[in-house]
Amino acid sequence: MLMMARREGETILIGDDIEVVIAHIGRSRVKVGIRAPRELAVMAREVKLVRDENLAASARSDTALSHLLTHLRPAASSSPPRGR
Amino acid sequence: MPSVETKYFRRISYETEALVEFPEGLPGFEQRRRFLALQFEDSHPLVFLQSVEDPGLCFITLPILAIDPQYQLQIDNEDRDLVGLPLGRPLRIGDDVLCLAVVSIRESGPTANLLGPLVVNLRNRKAVQAVDAESGYSHQHALVPQEAPVCS
Repeated sequence: MLMMARREGETILIGDDIEVVIAHIGRSRVKVGIRAPRELAVMAREVKLVRDENLAASARSDTALSHLLTHLRPAASSSPPRGR
Repeated sequence: MPSVETKYFRRISYETEALVEFPEGLPGFEQRRRFLALQFEDSHPLVFLQSVEDPGLCFITLPILAIDPQYQLQIDNEDRDLVGLPLGRPLRIGDDVLCLAVVSIRESGPTANLLGPLVVNLRNRKAVQAVDAESGYSHQHALVPQEAPVCS
C-alpha cells in the first residue's frame, strides 16, 4: 500500500479524475473531501459492508426462513412430520 | 384498512400506524422507504420488515438486545437529525428507540448485522440504519441457538 504524509488542506490525485483533499485533521478523526466522477461509488468501508449484508439478507427464501427458525429454536423442529 | 402483498405471509392488512419510514432508505435499498414491522407468535422473537413498495423485499430481523443484552447503541448526530432523535444523550432501547439487527442466513449458519443496527424512533416511527465504524461490532455476528442455560 502506498503511504503518503499530507497536511491539512493538501490534496492527493488518483489518476486524472479523482481528487482527495485532507479537509480537516481533528484529534481522532480526519475529514476527507473526495472529488470523483459521478459513476464511481464512494462510500465508507463499513457502509459497503452493511450494504452487501443487506443485499445478501434480502435474497432469502422460504426454506431459509424455516432453517432459521429451526436453528434459533431447536425444540420447534421436533414437531411431527406432516402427511401428504 | 390498507393491505399489502408480502414475501412470506401472502396478503395481509395493516394499520397505517404500524408503518416504519426510512427517509433515506437503507444502504443498497435507497428507494425503499416504507416498511411494515411484523411479529408473529410462532416465529418469536423475529421481526419481519416487509417493504410496502416491493412485495419481494422482506428483511428478517431480531431485536438487538435478544442477541446481545449488553449492546451499546451508537448513533451519530446526522442520523439522529434524520429521524428526529434528541442530540447529546444516550438513547434507551425499547423506550426511545426500537433497535433491530438484520439477519442473514449463510451456509455456516445465521449471522446478524450488529455493525449497522436499524434504529426506529418510537415517537414518530422514522428509522435509519445507523452504521458506526467505531462501535467495533461485527456485520456478521454468528447467532447461536437458544438452548437451556449451560451451568458453569
